[in-house]
Amino acid sequence: MAPVVLDKINKVYENGFHAVRDLSIDVADGEFLVLVGPSGCGKSTALRMVAGLEDISTGDLLIGGRRVNDVDPQGRDIAMVFQSYALYPHMSVRDNIAYGLKLRKMPKDLIEQRISKAAEMLELTPLLDRKPKQLSGGQRQRVAMGRSIVREPQVFLMDEPLSNLDAKLRVQMRAEISAVVRSLNTTTLYVTHDQTEAMTMGDRMAVMKAGILQQLGTPSECYDTPVNVFVAQFVGSPPMNLVMGEIVDGPDGLAVRKGHALMKIPDATVSARPALKSYAGKKVVVGVRSEDMEDANLARDPDPTRRLKGKVTLTEALGSEIVVHFTFPGEKVDTADTKLMEKESGGGEVHVGPELGVTWVASFAPRSRVRMGDDIEIAVDVERAHFFDPDTSQAIWT
Amino acid sequence: MSVDTSASATAEAKEAKIKVEKMPFGRWMRVVGWRHIVAIIMVIWALFPVLYVINLAFSGGNTLTAACPPDRTGLAALLCLVPNNLSLDNFTAVLTSTQWPFAIWFRNTVILATLNSSLALLMGACAAFAFSRLRFKGRRMGLLTLMLVQMFPAVLALTAIFILLQSIGNVFPPFGLRSIWGLLLVYLGGALGVNTFLMKGYFDTIPVDIDESARIDGAGHVKIFFGLIMRLALPILVVVFFVSFTSTFNELPMAQQILPDPDNTTLAVGLRSLVADPLRQQWGLMAAGGLMAAIPLLVVFAFTQRSLTTGLTAGAVKG
Repeated sequence: MAPVVLDKINKVYENGFHAVRDLSIDVADGEFLVLVGPSGCGKSTALRMVAGLEDISTGDLLIGGRRVNDVDPQGRDIAMVFQSYALYPHMSVRDNIAYGLKLRKMPKDLIEQRISKAAEMLELTPLLDRKPKQLSGGQRQRVAMGRSIVREPQVFLMDEPLSNLDAKLRVQMRAEISAVVRSLNTTTLYVTHDQTEAMTMGDRMAVMKAGILQQLGTPSECYDTPVNVFVAQFVGSPPMNLVMGEIVDGPDGLAVRKGHALMKIPDATVSARPALKSYAGKKVVVGVRSEDMEDANLARDPDPTRRLKGKVTLTEALGSEIVVHFTFPGEKVDTADTKLMEKESGGGEVHVGPELGVTWVASFAPRSRVRMGDDIEIAVDVERAHFFDPDTSQAIWT
Repeated sequence: MSVDTSASATAEAKEAKIKVEKMPFGRWMRVVGWRHIVAIIMVIWALFPVLYVINLAFSGGNTLTAACPPDRTGLAALLCLVPNNLSLDNFTAVLTSTQWPFAIWFRNTVILATLNSSLALLMGACAAFAFSRLRFKGRRMGLLTLMLVQMFPAVLALTAIFILLQSIGNVFPPFGLRSIWGLLLVYLGGALGVNTFLMKGYFDTIPVDIDESARIDGAGHVKIFFGLIMRLALPILVVVFFVSFTSTFNELPMAQQILPDPDNTTLAVGLRSLVADPLRQQWGLMAAGGLMAAIPLLVVFAFTQRSLTTGLTAGAVKG
């Protein structure tokens, strides 16, 4: 148990590739911090630098108040769970778990004690004499965790441990890992590319892109108040819907024009984001999450100005909700970030029918009767809309 | 509609077994039969010389045609492959001969082969570990160059090696010419090459995560190498040992030059010398000696057989 401090950590490879830029994170003692971001953003590199498997180019790394830049991995008192579990195939589960302890020349009975405690916690007791190839994926996962737990380190490091599991097992193991780690109250750094894992497991999230830390905050902070377009679209599934809008200074306050619709910006939003006033007459990026929109027929908000008129291109009935893809006239947002998000999700939007301008995804209540090809009206909760500067992609606040 | 699962129903089902239609002979021949024919021909081709040697060794005679006189033709010629009067004369002659010290040849060859294989294995494994796991300048080119240079047979450098050994012998006689340790040095010189390439390919298939996990657990390079990597790479180690052992056993040109004296030479050179003199070729003795010389190879093969099949293809795939 110890706080971990990354102070302006940089990693530059020999060929000049700058993988991690000025990363500064303060992880409190016992905190579960998740490093999340798309592939290649430098999160695994950062974790490996904390582990000591990669050299730190510049910057300071402190574990438990001690500067450990030049300390070997075994001297840092850390334990790591790898994506591929890295179990030793020729040893039994018991020997796998005991390996690190035997290397440190611990007395035999103490080793046995720790193994049985960890095995009980992870329900591995009947499997202790099996070899890794006789175990299922979830069981191997637990052995890898067991190996880290018995070392009783100051910091747990986990590098995408759930990536190799199937979807259902992943959900189950997510809860198990959370429970185990919290019961041990050890500082944990967890790397994943899955933002759902990050949201559900972490005390705080560090969203990274191209080696640069975008936002460090609790999951709710990252979800409700993203600092830029990238975080806004990365956190949350389906991604936040974006459109170019124009701020209009009207007779009763600011309004935003999205395509054909002109919606008044609520006073609460204007007081929370006073900088919006300086954008009057200028273009901004407007973001609305899919759950902040509903079928106008079922809407509780009767205000006719808060409506978008569009055509349904696709519906996906999930039982608990209906995901509706619709298109409406508006200007598409085309920045480097949105292109990156498209690439991450594997290609662009699926188009069924003509595209009127912009395609959004809304999440309707299951009672809604919309069907593909319908002309619909969507009620937008403007209070929860997000605004970003089109040039800097930063959220507009003060 | 209920499913009738009573005992009578299942009994009937068993009786009305489906009769598998046999393939018509013509089709069978085209699809399966011809492979048997090819196999039989190849087996005869491969085994015939071996049978001849066995026959010759046990026949008691000392000429090539001792077991099978040329006046026999046709089926009789084939039948003479089966020895009709077994005699161990050739074996006893080889073993008790004072002029041809078979025991010394046997001892030398086994020592050379075992030492060469073990040391080449160790050196090759260390080199392969470095090439596979460590990152250093000249890594990629180095491996390729090493392999290409060692593909040239050592015989090409025979004169140079001869002179080298002579000079070494002046300084340190046990390692010079006419000594098996000198020959061992020569063999070890060619040890790295293909062995390293094969082993590096296999080491590459062992995930680096295991190394890193052991590092974090507190293992140093030595523990990781001997405790983990070598254990996991056992199949390829066995292959390299076996290939090395066999090639050392059968090696002739270098051994002939460095150990020319029949009183202290290897099996290959010694058995060759039995038939070297065109006026006194003792084929019977050579056949018997050759059969006995094959015993160590059979022993090594028996121990390594299972690992060979997995190891042979494993190392070859990832380069």
